[in-house]
Amino acid sequence: MTGQIVQFGIDALSLGSLYALMALGLVIVYGILKLVNFAYGELVMVTGYTLFLLNGSPLPWLVMALVAVIIAILTGISTELVAFKPVREKSVTAVLITSFAFSTLLQNFVLLFISPRARQVPLPDIFTQTVELAGVIVPLRNLLTIACAFIMLGLFSWALKKTVLGIALRAAASQFRMARMLGVPANLIITTAFAISGLFAGVVGILWLGRIGSVVPGIGLEPLLVAFIATVIGGMRSLQGAVVGGFLLAFVDVSLNYLLPQHLLQFRDAFTFSFVILFLLMKPDGLIPGPASGERT
Amino acid sequence: MQKKSVRVFMSFICAVTLVWAFVPMAHAEEIIIGGALCSTGVQAPLDEPGLKGAQVAVKAINDAGGLLGKKVKFVNLDGKSDPVTVGNIAVELLDKGAKLMVAPCDFDFGGPASREAQKYGVVGISTCASDPLYSSWSLGDKQFTLSMWNTTMGATAAEYAFKERGWKNAYVVTDQFIAYTKSLSKYFIAHFKNIGGTILAEDTYTNGDQDFSAQLARIKALKTKPDVIFISSYQPDLGMIIRAIREVGIDAAIMGGDSYDDPSLFSALGEKFGNNVYFVTHTWMGPEAHKDMPKFLKLYKEYYGTEPDTSFVATGWDTIMLLAEAVKIAGTTDGAAVAKALETNEFNLLTGKLSYKTAAEGHAPDKASVLVELKKGKPSFLGWRRPASPPAP
Repeated sequence: MTGQIVQFGIDALSLGSLYALMALGLVIVYGILKLVNFAYGELVMVTGYTLFLLNGSPLPWLVMALVAVIIAILTGISTELVAFKPVREKSVTAVLITSFAFSTLLQNFVLLFISPRARQVPLPDIFTQTVELAGVIVPLRNLLTIACAFIMLGLFSWALKKTVLGIALRAAASQFRMARMLGVPANLIITTAFAISGLFAGVVGILWLGRIGSVVPGIGLEPLLVAFIATVIGGMRSLQGAVVGGFLLAFVDVSLNYLLPQHLLQFRDAFTFSFVILFLLMKPDGLIPGPASGERT
Repeated sequence: MQKKSVRVFMSFICAVTLVWAFVPMAHAEEIIIGGALCSTGVQAPLDEPGLKGAQVAVKAINDAGGLLGKKVKFVNLDGKSDPVTVGNIAVELLDKGAKLMVAPCDFDFGGPASREAQKYGVVGISTCASDPLYSSWSLGDKQFTLSMWNTTMGATAAEYAFKERGWKNAYVVTDQFIAYTKSLSKYFIAHFKNIGGTILAEDTYTNGDQDFSAQLARIKALKTKPDVIFISSYQPDLGMIIRAIREVGIDAAIMGGDSYDDPSLFSALGEKFGNNVYFVTHTWMGPEAHKDMPKFLKLYKEYYGTEPDTSFVATGWDTIMLLAEAVKIAGTTDGAAVAKALETNEFNLLTGKLSYKTAAEGHAPDKASVLVELKKGKPSFLGWRRPASPPAP
């Protein structure tokens, strides 16, 4: 019994850590621009393909991973430059379309120049090793994921509270126009938000690929969906909400996986989404509503 | 003046475009084979190899003097992994004179192309759709699939496990994503029980989850340890599932269908986890499988400059060669005559010996399949198998 609880706890926590990071990467941009970046999933894809292309190079794996994350950050920034900046002040619809277009562009680029078929990414041994905890064999990468998420979340919340940039980001997220009037440079803040979004997507990418072992052009869809649902549960404008939402969604998913009888398990997503709908009926603003400035700026 | 000349020029362009659009593409000395294979979207990984193989086959036919004294022209438009687009493309190509139709490798995506071909009285064939839904029952009396059905695929796996290896207890995991994954498990289970095996339990996986922990807990909780775990899913999820099973120290045999035939799976499993894995697939890229395989591989390399990255390229080659053979026997591209030639002959293809049942019997393909073993992450050829009595669809 303890074994099962330990197993369940680690499964839910590690999946939750991933979901929380995914959601945070999405909400950091949404919080400021009030616009969903539909090309967010492609940041994960870019991370994967960078790793794939670096496969076989003499670099140590950690350097490869670092390069992959940097490429994800750069792609995040270029999303802002290509898809958001030229149109974001004119129309929301236009941004929706440009971010979709950018996502399709990236995916088709990979389809055309690499392959529509899965490609292996290099992974160090640590991603396939296991340890024994309370009689349960646990993959080391699950513990790694949890540790990584908590470090990232800790650093991020410290930076938001203690650094000038962090304070400016928070100000922009709650009242963007006011923040600009008080001298916060808008473009710098937005670009930073996209860079941070890229950083989260990159780290998520590495950990997510660590579970899968290979990358396909459509790999970003699941993280985008998960992030979107988690932020809706958590409250669209709140950073803490996104994290809590991510953990809650993972907890629901893993519990259903464990508890549903076989013949119902194939409809698990229906159960998950019913839960989300019920939840939103009771709390339409999400768990943690965040600052009350719904206006897009 | 200048404005007027621009207008004249524009109307000239329009007129030319209109005329061009209505002039049939077919020249008298050409046989057009239409294709709606998808190069983008979810279906692309399955269709791209077939498309590549088909192009090599068309070149080989033309280099050898064409078909019925005419040149063969293969026109493939991207079906975009959308059934509606696939259907529209098929209509467009048929309108322009396509005499044969190559459909995507899946019932959901390939079916629309076959249905349109049927309306035009043209033979349509899917490169590798293996669900028994791909039959003359559901699509019409001129429609075929090159692949064995999942009935054969599941039965071959079951017979190998039970009869050749003596594995009595099986655990089955089914990915709920598409008809292919679900029906493969269904026929494996049916045949395994039929010949005397025991199914310990069935489990479900949702494609895209990338989380196999709950299922793993259930496998570990089984009182009787399974001799074989049958997993019906595909890449990239498949690699994650097998790794997850192996990581916790379960070393029972793992079996599956043609979705395992993917180099990205072999490399994802590697030396450490790529052991004791067996799968049923279409062919093997070596002279052991077919005497003409080296010739095909050579032509492929000449065409693309690289080796094929999966044996599925052979399904594209075979589709074109099968159609060409049937047209030769029929002496015409007329749909009814070609369908008859396909129904009444046995063909020796790179993907196995193949004969079709009649249209009343669904055009069920009676086809041999290949068994492959994965050892230290390297595939090896176990031989051809042809189950005596696969389960009824």
